[in-house]
Amino acid sequence: MTTLQNPRGDRMHDDTAPDSELVGLEDTPHTGESIADDGTLVEPQAGDFAHAKQAPDDPEWFKRAVFYEVLVRAFADSDGDGTGDLRGLASKLDYLEWLGVDCLWLPPFYASPLRDGGYDISDFRAVLPEFGTVDDFVYLLEEAHRRGIRVITDLVLNHTSDAHPWFQASRQDPDGPYGDFYVWADDDSGYPDARIIFVDTETSNWTYDPVRGQFFWHRFFSHQPDLNFENEDVQEAMLDVMRFWLDLGIDGFRLDAVPYLFEEEGTNCENLPRTHDYLKRVRATIDREYPGRVLLAEANQWPSDVVEYFGDPKVGGDECHMAFHFPLMPRLFMAVRRESRFPISEILAQTPEIPGGAQWGIFLRNHDELTLEMVTDDERDYMYREYATDPRMKANIGIRRRLAPLLGNDRDQLELFTAMLLSLPGSPVLYYGDEIGMGDNIWLGDRDAVRTPMQWSPDRNAGFSRSDPGRVYLPPIMDAVYGYEAINVEAQAANDASLLNWTRRMIQVRKQHAAFGEGEFVDLGGSNPSVLAYKRVLRREDGDEDVVLCVNNLSRFPQPVELELGEHEGATPVELTGSVRFPRIGELPYLLTLPGYGFYWFQLAELEDESERRSMT
Amino acid sequence: MSGPVETEEVGPHDELVEQLTETLPEWLPTQRWFGGKDRDVSAVRALSWTPLLDGDPLLLHVVVEVEQADRAERYQLLVGSRQHQVPDVPASASIGVEAGFTCYEATGDADLTSCLLDSIAGGVQIGHLRFEAEPDAELDTGLRAHPITTEQSNTSLVYGRQYILKLFRKLTPGVNKDLLLHRALWKLGSPHIAEPLGAISGEIDGEEFTFGMLQRFMPDAADGWVMASTSVRDLMADGSGLPPEELGGDFAGEAYRLGKAVANVHADLARALGSQEAHAAELEGSSAAMIERLDRIAAEVPELGPHVERLRSAFRKVADLPSPITVQSVHGDLHLGQVLRTVQGWLLLDFEGEPAATLAERTALRSPLRDVAGMLRSFDYAAHQLLVGQPHDEEQEERALSWARRNRSAFCDGYGKASGADPREQADLLLALELDKAVYEVAYEHANRPDWLTVPLSSIARMLSEGE
Repeated sequence: MTTLQNPRGDRMHDDTAPDSELVGLEDTPHTGESIADDGTLVEPQAGDFAHAKQAPDDPEWFKRAVFYEVLVRAFADSDGDGTGDLRGLASKLDYLEWLGVDCLWLPPFYASPLRDGGYDISDFRAVLPEFGTVDDFVYLLEEAHRRGIRVITDLVLNHTSDAHPWFQASRQDPDGPYGDFYVWADDDSGYPDARIIFVDTETSNWTYDPVRGQFFWHRFFSHQPDLNFENEDVQEAMLDVMRFWLDLGIDGFRLDAVPYLFEEEGTNCENLPRTHDYLKRVRATIDREYPGRVLLAEANQWPSDVVEYFGDPKVGGDECHMAFHFPLMPRLFMAVRRESRFPISEILAQTPEIPGGAQWGIFLRNHDELTLEMVTDDERDYMYREYATDPRMKANIGIRRRLAPLLGNDRDQLELFTAMLLSLPGSPVLYYGDEIGMGDNIWLGDRDAVRTPMQWSPDRNAGFSRSDPGRVYLPPIMDAVYGYEAINVEAQAANDASLLNWTRRMIQVRKQHAAFGEGEFVDLGGSNPSVLAYKRVLRREDGDEDVVLCVNNLSRFPQPVELELGEHEGATPVELTGSVRFPRIGELPYLLTLPGYGFYWFQLAELEDESERRSMT
Repeated sequence: MSGPVETEEVGPHDELVEQLTETLPEWLPTQRWFGGKDRDVSAVRALSWTPLLDGDPLLLHVVVEVEQADRAERYQLLVGSRQHQVPDVPASASIGVEAGFTCYEATGDADLTSCLLDSIAGGVQIGHLRFEAEPDAELDTGLRAHPITTEQSNTSLVYGRQYILKLFRKLTPGVNKDLLLHRALWKLGSPHIAEPLGAISGEIDGEEFTFGMLQRFMPDAADGWVMASTSVRDLMADGSGLPPEELGGDFAGEAYRLGKAVANVHADLARALGSQEAHAAELEGSSAAMIERLDRIAAEVPELGPHVERLRSAFRKVADLPSPITVQSVHGDLHLGQVLRTVQGWLLLDFEGEPAATLAERTALRSPLRDVAGMLRSFDYAAHQLLVGQPHDEEQEERALSWARRNRSAFCDGYGKASGADPREQADLLLALELDKAVYEVAYEHANRPDWLTVPLSSIARMLSEGE
């Protein structure tokens, strides 16, 4: 039941109105509050709102950026209602700037019935009321840009919530302007080769709608009808959705569920050429109208398939700028558990070259669970076949836990994993709270276990909210080890030796060397399987090379390693956190010893003799 | 086509070589790769000497015959010789000063050894020595080399991060089996070997010899022993008491893949070089040889005494096996140290066969189960290595056994999956081959590493009681 203003201006209650299921938007502009005479829904326009100033011009910023995934709900509550909001997030930007974050990634904050964590969007042009308003978002953008921080958010192109006014209009008026916005059919026999993704809850990709008397197509939940990208109006409408946010100043989108935009009989309806064609169209629009903004593909597939979403390498990539490297993350955990570099080396060896203008996004944890079941029928992939048969690893990796509990709260491992995240090829994505080693609450629903309030201080509600503790959307972590009285930003900021300060320092070091972001990755191998050594080599325009050498001990025991560094004979490894000079590289293999879970970052520098340096002074 | 160089033609170095042969009887036994350390060297005679680089520095390729009582073996040497700018080589490499030149073992002198790769790439002949690249091999030149330190009976040089040149130390006439099998497997496109890229060969007294083999170097590789040790270390240090399959360091997935790789290599060897049938007479011969070896070793190692009767009866069963059985070219000395894990999977190395075996033994057709048995023994060794020299600990012993059981079984599963025949189905033959190998280990440990003697002895006791 909702109140809306009809085109004639009088207020009325109407269950059949296109926005009848949108809750809490009465006082803010939203799609479907009025309808034009031709049946078109009136949608809010960017011109209705203030715009944020842009972040400094830098077309390749994303290649070097440190990303930070933050749930608006979980970060900071500005109005004391127990739920985090955009204004609250804006109030913590000083902290994020201090930490060294370059870009925030916000999972969806759109109006939504929240049946799929906000990925079921019921209005692309309105903010979920409990998070604030579009104006609040513009305020967040403005404040972030002022600090040199960019903001991207998820955008689901493939489908909407069934509460979206487009769907409501489509089901009620097959001949109206939205009648062809979704994939309708008289029976459920179409596209039989498309797999069912959510096999636990769905039995078919078709669901019957009694209102329209037809079946609609959905690759995910039955309350998330797929948009019909065959329809030029849909293609244009989604471009307009992007323009809406880009005009307000947003820095890019993580495009959710991109492989599924188009359907075609006789195919599995994934990764179809026309899906790529549409992404090229989106990219061309961005390049033409909003240069410097990015598209990040969410395609939970093998790297050899994901690279398709970067587009044509001959032009440096003409689809998405970035894509997540999904298979790397579980392999980091497997490698350390096996004390063997092979799980990591293998997946990186199988990762194809990416176009010059593209970058991977890599992460240790995020808001979702991760499993090894990425694709079902990828027979040619050795890794999948081999490692999916190790059931124990699968059970231990495909779980929803935060980084610190996954690693037994072992500071040495936390540092090792973070060091690998910050030095392997790709832009690192931190997950909120992991920088202080936050815990999880496995007694909450499985997805909520890692979505508890950010722990700011030992005060009430972990400093997250001034509300009555019973009103907080999820209880903050309170156990003896990870509880907010022990683990919080305030305490760790004050302690030089804390994980927070250590993480901040490592981010700073990373930023001093562009090779981490843009350097070529060279796996150095070596006879000790427990040591993962690689270099990142950046060829500068003047022909010189910046070489960073990273050596990681994946074992809990101390390890020696001899590295073949003959190419760099005569160079001096300089440790990056303390500028300590190590012995010069000679003709023979270079010997290093590492403590359990230890790692080194070196710059390979051509230096004069230490004695000469002294004599100069 | 130039023939073998007559020694007179390299006359200028005659004096140097003659002086060398007088020093070598003292020097040879100090070298790791020298196989005759069990008795004194009575004489060393130079069979050929060929200057690869002339002048100062001089690089001399020398083949010597080493006389030790009734035994005479041929060895290959690379002798560096300089008057000026003697390189910084370890003391053990120094042979002495001869005719005003400092002479030294030259494999550690990168200034000199780069000519070996360049000669192979160039396909040159120097004296009787033929340097040849394999057909289709394209080689980078000008790379410097360093010897790897883990080599036992040969010397291997790594060029850049690209190639490895194995110089065979003890020489046997004929095309080297390692080279032969690598070529055969490569022709079939086997993914389980390192690509052969070239060879150094020549003729001495009318007999053909292989002096060196160049292969693709795998800088990303770790050997199987180290890989397995990582897993064992994890298990032994674990305080939870969980079985190996419950621990992160579990090796069974690797052991399974390794079993598949070995089976695939066996299939390729049979395809390339054929297989034969061994009939009752040969089985009887094998059985008799096992018993003969057992008796010889039991006479020297009293600890073997309690097992001798049951060992004999296990070996006797070989003679009664239903014949014929299939035999073929095999690796011959397969253990975890002879396999490499690369990012592409497992590779097998060193197809020479047991270093102590005679040429006839090395080239004889064998049951592929001999390789399986060798690998199974190696899993036992890997499992028990951390217990050697430690006070007896029942619990740790049990954990080592559980690791060995799990990985031996996974290896056989993988082998059976790829070959279609689980090696455990031929239980009597596999048991005999494993026991034969273990008896050989007893002799080796008794002579060289008494601390380790318990490893093969307890395996023998266990296998015999389980086999009953």
